[in-house]
Amino acid sequence: MESPFKWLRNRLGWSSVKQTLLDRKIPNPGRWAWAYTLGSATLAVFLLQVLTGMFLGMNYSPSPDHAYESIRYIMTEVPLGGLIRGLHKWGASAMIILLVLHLLRTFCMGSHKSPRELTWIVGIFLLLAAFGLGFTGYLLPWDQKAYWATAVGINISKQAPFLGLWIAKIFKGGEELGAMTLTRFYALHVLVLPTFMALLIGTHLFLVVYHGISAPPHPPGSEPPDYESLKAKGKSFYPHSIFKDLVMITTVIGILFFLSIYFGADLEDPADPTDASYNPRPEWYFLFLFQMLKLFPGNLEYLAAVVLPTILILFLLLLPFLDRGTKRHPFARPVWMTAGLLAVGYILLLSYQGWKSPLVNPQIEKNPMVLHGKKIYADLHCSYCHQIRGEGGTVGPDLSLTVSSRSDEWLEVHFRKPREATPGSAMPELNLLNEEIYALIAYLRDVGGSGIFTARLAKIYQENCQTCHRLKGEGGDVGPDLSGIGNFRVAEWIRAYIQNPQLLNPDAAMPEFGSILETQDIENLASYLAAQKRGK
Amino acid sequence: MTMDRRKFLELAIYGLGSVVGISLLAPIATYFLSPAWKKHIEDWVLLGETKKIPVGKPTKIEFIQRRKDGWMTVEEKRTAWVLTRDGKEFTVFDPRCTHLGCPYRWDEAKEKFLCPCHAAVFDVDGQVISGPPPRPLDRYDVKVEAGKLWMLPTLKEKV
Repeated sequence: MESPFKWLRNRLGWSSVKQTLLDRKIPNPGRWAWAYTLGSATLAVFLLQVLTGMFLGMNYSPSPDHAYESIRYIMTEVPLGGLIRGLHKWGASAMIILLVLHLLRTFCMGSHKSPRELTWIVGIFLLLAAFGLGFTGYLLPWDQKAYWATAVGINISKQAPFLGLWIAKIFKGGEELGAMTLTRFYALHVLVLPTFMALLIGTHLFLVVYHGISAPPHPPGSEPPDYESLKAKGKSFYPHSIFKDLVMITTVIGILFFLSIYFGADLEDPADPTDASYNPRPEWYFLFLFQMLKLFPGNLEYLAAVVLPTILILFLLLLPFLDRGTKRHPFARPVWMTAGLLAVGYILLLSYQGWKSPLVNPQIEKNPMVLHGKKIYADLHCSYCHQIRGEGGTVGPDLSLTVSSRSDEWLEVHFRKPREATPGSAMPELNLLNEEIYALIAYLRDVGGSGIFTARLAKIYQENCQTCHRLKGEGGDVGPDLSGIGNFRVAEWIRAYIQNPQLLNPDAAMPEFGSILETQDIENLASYLAAQKRGK
Repeated sequence: MTMDRRKFLELAIYGLGSVVGISLLAPIATYFLSPAWKKHIEDWVLLGETKKIPVGKPTKIEFIQRRKDGWMTVEEKRTAWVLTRDGKEFTVFDPRCTHLGCPYRWDEAKEKFLCPCHAAVFDVDGQVISGPPPRPLDRYDVKVEAGKLWMLPTLKEKV
């Protein structure tokens, strides 16, 4: 009787599969061996996106009411949720980078030429699908960046001649960017595009195996060698190529882990369609398009928005039929290589300019607890009684002025049993959950600062700062007025500045206090100053 | 012992494959399985003032529970049966029959809790008198503070 293992191999036709896929010979790649791993690395990152995406989907709700909160939930409450989202976010960038490098490798080595034209064309569709996944993906968190970048992206599609307005409506799922847009993008992102992508990848891989992996280009002037004989001289795919692929994949995944743990995935303020101060920026891989729009005046904008990208795509699709012949070495195709380098250089230049162009966004708050607290503050209508920077009712105290003098413990008691913290208080007992209380404290700390202005601190301020700086109308005018400094600078920055001003501003006339004051005092001073905010 | 190049590469492939596989599967497993060991955060819910609860007779109390449901905080209307004999010690019963979860009611004449689904009968202390229920009525933890009755709205799962 055969063993179950043998039976399974038999029924699967394992020996022919192994012969076709694993034992197939690969022409010796020579010193370009590592460049040949880019395709597998891209595939690995795609699988990483599928894996992390599936699990993110378990805690995500695609509606404007819940999308942002569910992402916040993933980031703060699901164990390792931040890591999984970080891998997904950085994985998207890695996939674009690897795809482009893979494309450039293929172009430089002339691997797109006969008989691999179709492999190239399918690859271009894969690149487009990846851009589509990127564009549909970053609307999903429904934060400011998501909302505004999508609004701009959809408005760009309006520029298309004749059909523009229709296209924009189809994208939005209606007249306005809203719930219908989000569900539409969600379905595109998790159902439509990944399905396309999987089918395209299947075709791409089939073609790679069917035509064989291209040999490195033969030197200019020599006759093209016979592919079959190069293949016969080469080594088998398993284990030789797979080993290098895996080293590359491990490195890429390692880098993604580092980025996800060290930088994480950010979440901005919730989307606010009425906010006029926000400065929308697309994801970095769309920056070149974003920058190109600035180069064309109003009535010609459709050239940058629609015509040029369409020409670029058509050009890429038709490339194998334009750049023909048996010459594959880059030096044997000087015209094509120059054109390619100019195009890549220009895209890089535009991306760089787009990245450097002034960004005047308000400070981005990254602490999700603060954002949660802000939402509760709004939901509970705290502003009916309390003011923050001059906005709100006057029944209770102005929180941006009074919170810094209260401890966390006091605030907790205040939220739980207001009358225990302040006898006779008019504040209602709100029956809040523990977590809501901590979020509110985090928000108020952000608004009002945590530095308690003690007698000691007042003395230090008087002796060291007041001679030169004005605050609330008092003090000298040698240095800048510090009233409202909290609107522009965070405590961390102020602390660094007090410690050594010249490090942040070489022309600063202010002496360094790092050696004069104690570290704790500088920290308290910084958080006190960071709490000095003004109303709009 | 010597190892040829092929053998070495094969071992390296399994090694690297395991490193990548484990480093991805471990966090994903933690993420996916975490509900199993997530601690439920208890928040006491106010049922009302103790002096308003009748002595000696089970009373159905309706209350609003604020509860975290994933990323949302929801407010739900809930009920519980409260019993006190002296106005000091309180027992709070879950309003669902321990058999299959039907809402039972208090029968004034018989002085028993009757379940309409499968004719279960409980006495005033929640003990099973007849019918299919496998255990007495479920009770919530309660506390009295400054004349107010509070309860923990989560039942401990009975295995």
